[in-house]
Amino acid sequence: MNYVWHLLVLAILYALLGSSLNLLCGYTGLVSLCHAAFYGLGAYCSAILMTKAGLGFFPAALVCVVLTGLASLAVAVPTLRLRGDYFILATLGFQIIVFSTLQNWVSLTNGPYGITGIPIPSIMGFSFDSPLLYLLLTVIVCAPCAAATRMLVQSQFGRALRCVREDEIAAASLGKDVPRLKICAFVIAAALAAVCGVMFAGYSRYIDPTSFSVAESIFILSVVIIGGAGNLAGPVVGAAFMVLFPEVIGFIGLPDAVAANLRQVIYGVALVWLMRFRPQGIVGDYGFD
Amino acid sequence: MQLLLQLVFDGLVLGCVYSVAAVGFAIIYNTSRIFHVGFGTSYLVAAYTCFWLLAHWQVPLFLSVIAAIGVAAATGVLFELLIYRPLRLRGASLLVMLISSLGVYVVSVNLVSMFFGAETKILLAESAKAFRCGPLLIASTQMPQLFVAMLLLVVIAFATRNSRAGRALRAARDNPVLLEATGTDLDRLYLVLFALGSALAGLAAVLTSLDSGIDPNIGMPALLTAAAALILGGIGTFVGPVLGGILIGLLQGLALWQLSSRWTDAVTFCVLILFLLVRPQGVLGVVRRVEEVAD
Repeated sequence: MNYVWHLLVLAILYALLGSSLNLLCGYTGLVSLCHAAFYGLGAYCSAILMTKAGLGFFPAALVCVVLTGLASLAVAVPTLRLRGDYFILATLGFQIIVFSTLQNWVSLTNGPYGITGIPIPSIMGFSFDSPLLYLLLTVIVCAPCAAATRMLVQSQFGRALRCVREDEIAAASLGKDVPRLKICAFVIAAALAAVCGVMFAGYSRYIDPTSFSVAESIFILSVVIIGGAGNLAGPVVGAAFMVLFPEVIGFIGLPDAVAANLRQVIYGVALVWLMRFRPQGIVGDYGFD
Repeated sequence: MQLLLQLVFDGLVLGCVYSVAAVGFAIIYNTSRIFHVGFGTSYLVAAYTCFWLLAHWQVPLFLSVIAAIGVAAATGVLFELLIYRPLRLRGASLLVMLISSLGVYVVSVNLVSMFFGAETKILLAESAKAFRCGPLLIASTQMPQLFVAMLLLVVIAFATRNSRAGRALRAARDNPVLLEATGTDLDRLYLVLFALGSALAGLAAVLTSLDSGIDPNIGMPALLTAAAALILGGIGTFVGPVLGGILIGLLQGLALWQLSSRWTDAVTFCVLILFLLVRPQGVLGVVRRVEEVAD
């Protein structure tokens, strides 16, 4: 049964990661390939604050989200002037810089060996030390984030983002401050990714840079694209598909190494197939046109 | 001083190999405007084809290299026929094409690591010999890298400069519909471009793996370096990507002077982002209107 809770925790984290990236790709039309960088910044920041500075889980989480938000602001302000392929290339560049830093700044991040012994999150002496309890914590943390995302995209702000996606010049002519809208979307998406990072670090209690590589950014983008971009249900469906479907393969009994590759082959094929026949994904609204 | 000279020379050789990849990427990107992630696939497939022929079938090096380049060209043709052409017929956006090729890239990386394993492989079993030339220490693998790359770049420069094919390339970027109206078969042109660009990816892969190991993830850094070289040098000219490739090579060489080799990737992409912000048209590029660059 614990395994089911484990899968649910992962599915919820990827659903939130996907939803946050969806704010950018689906609603604003900005395809970003550095989401794993913000996810990683969140995870590493909380791990370092908890193991080295001895902060509690919730204070560390708060500091992390603020720091990652600031970092994303520093990235967003210059790069959002770029358009199309240049923006994608700049985000990829940033992803590689962050990965390389996590890998090589050994005195702070312990390099390729990663950070071990991240304490179990606890609140006033109550420790979330079983998978079921952690699932509870994940729901408690992620539900407000999901609700906030929902409110955001249904508000005037969300409509303005969609307007930017369809036609930037029209949006500007209606008096919308296009750069500010894009920057807000980018920072909010990064802060939400940091929340997922904190939750991931507290859950696995060991993190290393390989969890936050370019491949992970592609994976998160696939969650959005396969589920469907541009509405709230898409990333949730995508996360369910990407996390739960590979488990079916697990039951066939392939060796672990092959199974991991096979999963990625399946989602790569799904990407190609969907782009050819159904670019809006399983339940999405926006087909990247 | 001698160390600096050595680093500059090594950087220059590295830069020549990057230039080959960058020109390959530019041939595809300049004309079709597709950010062809499949370039990484061609690179990867070429390196592993060469490795497989050498290690399992004891095919001579020269033949393996030719075969690897041929296979890389074939992957490019397959990309155009199976992925891009159907999408183009449907009127899909360039973003859709990018995501499709990203999907194929993910598949190729994982198929390669399923068949060959994820660990690093070495192409040439015996270690490279080095000889002295004045103050420089030259590895035996650096000579073919330098000469093949130089020769090829010169050939391409002359082949595209004033020929009909070269003009067709530039015309296809500026106005594909008009080019088709003049009787050029656009579909065939794209096929040739993808074959040529991917063959150059294959050549760069083989040259690089002469002295560094290969693993299933080499495609993405190669693609990004090529794209970075193209942007640094400037889009729309032939000299641009060559200059960009050499600049990146030199930069990585010089980065070794002050930092350890682990930071080369970070340095490269910091410079790329800086360039994107300060001079997005590159060293040599022409300033284009925002609308032209965007879609």
